[in-house]
Amino acid sequence: MPPQVGSRRSLIVSLVLVVVIAFGSLAATLSLGWGPKLGLDLAGGLSVVYKPATPASNADMQEVVTILTNRVDGLGVSGATVNLQSKNVVVSVPGVTDARAVLAAVGQTAQLLFRPVLCEAAVGTKLVSYAHKTLPTCAAQYQDTAANLAVNPSTGNSNSIAPDPAFTNIKSTPPLDDVPGKTVILPLLGDPAVRYVLGPSELTGHAVKRAIAQQNQIGAWVVNYTLTSTGSPAWDKVADQNFHQLLAIELDGVVQSAPLIQPDQATFTSFDGAGEISGNFTEASAKNLALAMNFGALPVRLDPLTTKTVSATLGHSALIAGLGAGLAGLALVLLYTVLYYRALGLVILLGLSVTAALLWAIISALGHTAFAPSFDLAGVTGLIVSIGITVDSYIVYFERLKDEARAGRSVRSSVDRGFRSAWRTVLAADTVSLLAAVLLYIIAVGDVKGFAFFLGLSTLMDVFITWYFTRPLVVLLGRRSSASTSALSMAAGMQAGSRNAAVPVGVSSE
Amino acid sequence: MSSDLDFAPAEDVHYGPVGRLYHGLTTVDFVGKRRIWFAVSLTIIVLGLGSLAIRGFNFGIDFKGGSSWEVLAPHTNVVDMTNAVRAVGLPEPVVAKLGSETYQVTADINSLSSSAAATMTTNVVDAMARIAHVNPDQVSTSNVGPTWGGQITHKALEALIVFFIAVVAYISLRFEPKMAVAAFIAMVHDLLVTVGVYSLFGFQITPDTVIAILTILGYSLYDTVVVFDRVRDNTQGVLKSGDLTYSDMVNLSMNQTLARSINTSLVAILPVLAVLLIGADLLGATTLQNYGLALFVGLTSGAYSSIFIASPLLAWMKEREPRYRDLAARVNVRMDRRVLTATSAALAGAQLSSAAARPQRTSAVTGTIQARGRKQKRR
Repeated sequence: MPPQVGSRRSLIVSLVLVVVIAFGSLAATLSLGWGPKLGLDLAGGLSVVYKPATPASNADMQEVVTILTNRVDGLGVSGATVNLQSKNVVVSVPGVTDARAVLAAVGQTAQLLFRPVLCEAAVGTKLVSYAHKTLPTCAAQYQDTAANLAVNPSTGNSNSIAPDPAFTNIKSTPPLDDVPGKTVILPLLGDPAVRYVLGPSELTGHAVKRAIAQQNQIGAWVVNYTLTSTGSPAWDKVADQNFHQLLAIELDGVVQSAPLIQPDQATFTSFDGAGEISGNFTEASAKNLALAMNFGALPVRLDPLTTKTVSATLGHSALIAGLGAGLAGLALVLLYTVLYYRALGLVILLGLSVTAALLWAIISALGHTAFAPSFDLAGVTGLIVSIGITVDSYIVYFERLKDEARAGRSVRSSVDRGFRSAWRTVLAADTVSLLAAVLLYIIAVGDVKGFAFFLGLSTLMDVFITWYFTRPLVVLLGRRSSASTSALSMAAGMQAGSRNAAVPVGVSSE
Repeated sequence: MSSDLDFAPAEDVHYGPVGRLYHGLTTVDFVGKRRIWFAVSLTIIVLGLGSLAIRGFNFGIDFKGGSSWEVLAPHTNVVDMTNAVRAVGLPEPVVAKLGSETYQVTADINSLSSSAAATMTTNVVDAMARIAHVNPDQVSTSNVGPTWGGQITHKALEALIVFFIAVVAYISLRFEPKMAVAAFIAMVHDLLVTVGVYSLFGFQITPDTVIAILTILGYSLYDTVVVFDRVRDNTQGVLKSGDLTYSDMVNLSMNQTLARSINTSLVAILPVLAVLLIGADLLGATTLQNYGLALFVGLTSGAYSSIFIASPLLAWMKEREPRYRDLAARVNVRMDRRVLTATSAALAGAQLSSAAARPQRTSAVTGTIQARGRKQKRR
C-alpha cells in the first residue's frame, strides 16, 4: 500500500506533537543552560595531532592515549580530550588562555630514561658535531665513579669533579642520535652551561608509578615518587649498581635532574618502591620533574604532525562569522521561497523554525555527552549546507503540487497525491545524502567527522520533519482551502485555476 | 477549477522565460542538444586539466607543511606586519590580510631543528602580538608537518571510492544500472570541473577543500536522483503510451523538474554564497572561505551536470536498447519529435486517467513502491 496520508485527527495530533516536542526540548535545554560543545576553532584552544614515529601496536597507542590524558589532566584545564583517529593521536584543549604553556607540557613526547652519569662536560665556544659513532671514554680522573666522588655518608657531601675537557667542544647529541642504547652528551635543564656524558639507558619511565613535587621539613622542594611492582626491583638493581653515583633522568634530550644515589647511607638499601629526589630545585623545576616522571614514559616516540592554536578572539569572530553567514543564508532562502511560493513559502518558514528548534536542542544535548563531536566551523558548514537539502524537500513537494494542479485536480486531492510521490523522491534523495554523511563519518579524519555528523543529523531531521510536520500541515491546509479563499489558500503557491492569469509570478486569482 | 482539458492549455498566453518556468511551459530539448552541453563541459574540463598539467595545484600549508600565524589587528597593515616578522628572522614570510582585520603570516620553518622552530614560533608570536597591541595568547598558530595533508587526502580518497561503490550499488538496486552509470559519470564530471577550476584560478587547496568536494559529489548525486526519480515515473507511467520515445520522456521529465532543479540549486547556493561573502570576506574566517568556494564551484557544476549531463547520457544509453530503438523508429515514422511541456503532460495524464482509457496505467501512477521495484528488476 502507498503511504497513508492519514485522517484529520491523526494529522493534527502529529502536527501538535512535533511542535510541542521541538519547542519543548528547546525550552528545556535553554532553561538548563545547555549549549553546544564548541569546537576549538570557535572557542579558541589548542589541538595537536601526533603520529607514532615507528609502527606501534593498538595496545601501545591506547597506552599513549592514557598517558597523554594524564598529562593534559595534570595541567588542570577542563574539557581537554585525547583520542585516537586511525593511528594518530589527537589532543584537543579547548578554551586555554596560554596555549604555549600547554603545548610545552603536552609536547614532551620522548621517553623518560634513567642513564648513569659518566662525567661532566663544559660548553666550549667552538662546538662541532662529533664525527665518530661513539663518544670517547671519559678520562679516569674526571669519571663520576663512586671512588672519585667519595661520598661521605655522615654529611651527604661528595667531591666535586671537574668536567672532562675532551668533551668541551663536542656538540650535544642531536634528537635523532639520542637513542636509549648509546652514550650521549646532553645539557641539564635550566642550566645549559652544565652538560653530562651519559651511559646507555638502564631503566625507562615505565618503572615510575607516580611522582609528586613537595616541600620537605626544611622547606626545600623535592620530588617524591613511587614505583610500580615490576619497576621497584628493577629500580633497586639500577640504584645498587649506581650506588653513591649520579643517575640522570633524561626526557626529550634534556637531563631533568642528576641526583646522587643514597648519599646519606653507608651501604645500599632497597628503596621499597618509593623514594625522594632532592637537589637545587625551585618550585617550578620540581613540579616539572614530577610531571615528566609521571607522564614521560610513552611506549613509542611521537612526532607532531600538526599543531594548531586558535586565540579566543579569533575563535569568537569565527563563530560570529559562521552564525552570521548561516542566518543570512537562511534569510535569503526564506525570502526567495516566500516570493516564489507565497503562502506555501510560509510553510517552509514554519518548518525551518521547527527544524531549527529541534536541531539546536539536540546539538545542545549532545554537547553534554562524550559521544558527539564538538560543534566547530566544519559542523556549522554542514548545517548551512543542510539548509539546502531541507528546503529542497519542500520544493520537491510543492512542484509536485503544481503538477497535480496543472492536471486540473482539486487542491484537496493534489496535496494527498503530491505528497505520496514527493515522499518517495525525498526518501531516495535523503538516502544518498545520508549515505555520504555516514561514509564520511566512518572513514574520514579530523574536521571531516564533525562536518559529516551534523550533515547526517540534519538529513535525518529532514526526513522526520517532512513526514510528521510538513505532511500534516500542508494536507490540513489543503483540505481547508477547498472551502476557503483565505490568504493561506494553497492556490497562492500553485497556479491552479489561474491558467488564464497573465501574471508571471503566482498571485492568486481565484 | 477548470474542467476543460486540452493538450495545449495556456500556450497562447505569452510568458517570459521565468513565467514559462513557473507555469511549467518550458520546452527545452535537453536530450537533442546534448552535443552542445557535452561540448561546454568538455571545454571546461580540458581547460582545467590542461592548467593542472602545466601549473599544478596551489597547495595550502596542510599539504606542503609549514607554519602560519593569525592575529586580529585592526590598526596595522601588510607592510608593517611583514617587517615585524622579518625583524625576528622569519625566512620568506608571506603576509596576507584575511577579511577586514585579520592578518595571516605563512612561512616554512620545517627545515629548522625542533628547538629552533619553537623559538622562532615564540618570536613570531611575540612580534605579531606587539604590532597588534594584544597579548601573545591572542595569536593563533598552526604548524603542520609535510605529511598531514597527505593523510587527510588519503582518507578522503578512501571515502570517495567507497562512496562511489555504495552509490552505484544503491542506484542500481533502487533505480537501474544505466541510471547508476549516468549518475556516476555526472559525479566524475563535477569532480573534474571542480579540480580544474581550482587549478585554473589558483585557489588554495586545503583539507577543507577536500571535505567540500566530497559534499559536492553527494549533493550532485542528490540532485540527479530527484530527476531520475521522475524519469522512472514517466517511463513507467501514463505516458508510456507509445507516442513518446525514451528521449522524449527524459526531456519531459527534465522540463517537469526544471523549476525544482533551478529552485533547489538556488536554495543550496544562496547559503553557500552567504558563507563565502559574509563569513569569509567580511569576517575573515578562512575555514568558511575554503568550504564556501569549493561548495560554490561544485554546486554550480552539480546543478549543471544533473540537468545537462546525467539525463542526456541516460537517454543516449537507453536509446541503444533494442526496445527503445524500435519505439523511437515507430514514433519517428508517425510524427515529428516534440517536447511536451510539464503542463500539457499533466493534462494529458489527467485526461487519460479521468477518461479511464488506460486504467492499468492509472494504477501504475498510484501504485506502490514495492510493486515498482519488482517491475524494475524484470526489465
